[in-house]
Amino acid sequence: MTELARQVEALLFLSPEPLPVETLCEVTDESPGAVQRALAELSERHGPETGLEVAEIAGGVTIRTRADLAAVCDRLRERPTDDRVSPAALETLAVVAYLEPVSRPQISRLRGVSVDSTVVSLVDRGLLEEAGRPADGGAMRYRTTRLFQERFGLRGAGDLPPLEGFELSGPEAERVRQQLMDAGHLPEGGETDDA
Amino acid sequence: MPQTDALQQPIELDLFEGPFDLLLTLVLRDEVELLDVPLMEVVTSALGENARERWDTDTAGELIVLLAAMAELKARRLLGEPAEEEPDPDTLEAREALAQRLVAYAPFQRAAGWLAERLRDSAGPRYRRVALDGAPPPPPPREDPAQLRAAMLPLLAAPPAPSLAHLTSRRVSLQAALARLQSALATARSVSFDAIAEGLDPLEEAIALMAALELVRRGEVTLRQAEPFGDIAITGARR
Repeated sequence: MTELARQVEALLFLSPEPLPVETLCEVTDESPGAVQRALAELSERHGPETGLEVAEIAGGVTIRTRADLAAVCDRLRERPTDDRVSPAALETLAVVAYLEPVSRPQISRLRGVSVDSTVVSLVDRGLLEEAGRPADGGAMRYRTTRLFQERFGLRGAGDLPPLEGFELSGPEAERVRQQLMDAGHLPEGGETDDA
Repeated sequence: MPQTDALQQPIELDLFEGPFDLLLTLVLRDEVELLDVPLMEVVTSALGENARERWDTDTAGELIVLLAAMAELKARRLLGEPAEEEPDPDTLEAREALAQRLVAYAPFQRAAGWLAERLRDSAGPRYRRVALDGAPPPPPPREDPAQLRAAMLPLLAAPPAPSLAHLTSRRVSLQAALARLQSALATARSVSFDAIAEGLDPLEEAIALMAALELVRRGEVTLRQAEPFGDIAITGARR
């Protein structure tokens, strides 16, 4: 193991948050190329047969326990943190992640439900944070946090599939429109065959 | 906005998270029949977990229109709509708006599904998150020390003593003003205050007036002023 790989391993072990490669370069006084090579060496060293892995997440590199060890890791705590996220919270997170910074009224408008308490609880859980008000003094806007990226396994802000990929296809959108337009007709008159 | 407490946590619908989620699922699949949708629950879910929560007026107004369109749809579905009869334009417009909103909403519903998958896939690893003791290191010294010195020097120099030029301590003697007035009255029986005060600055003029009043108090002179702000005649008392 090279001296640099040893140094990087020590830094990743100690750091309370994922370390960007630039930070590793600054602290070790090495070039990005050398640090990348050290990281590769380290990843190889922490293979599937070990308890730890080197992961690129939330804008940096970190050392974490392997997924299959979750159960034994959680036995260290009397009450492991509750990672469940409700469907409403997931949908709110999706809106914020794609449109950030975005205000509560904007989220409400898209989702068609009041999101105030959902946003408050997501802020409490550290998955969202305030992102300031617009220059013209509108409502407070929100963005996702590094903890959000970590929890959802994202490499950084914006590490999301393109939103266009989730849009309704042309025929689907037309179907939505048509269904609503025709919804008033009696079942026997339309395509819907329900009674 | 009122704080929500634990007892007022959302009672979520089992299947749906909001009117759009519900309606979109409804129209994209044929599994759910519009007639079976409990409208009351949709309204409740739209109003939010806590009915006291404040909506901003625009969003609320818009949502009311959309919910009304849904209610109307359901009513038509129940009663039937004569196929040949065109529904009125407002109704069509509301349905069109609802359709557009559903289309705009759809990608986020699916993105939420994607996030749910990510969450499941990322649930295993645990992170060591212990804050480091001590202060973070100072930023690397990129500044030229000479520049730092140049910036520091003016701060270390003793500031110049403040100028007191504007704080003159002038002394105007009431005694001198009295003497001047008395000597003027020694040669004339009556003098004009304006004549006495000629060329004096406001402070000296005020002292001259005080001198005149002092002589009145002593009974040496009488004052007479014909009109307000007019000249004052200072007349020596008859002896």
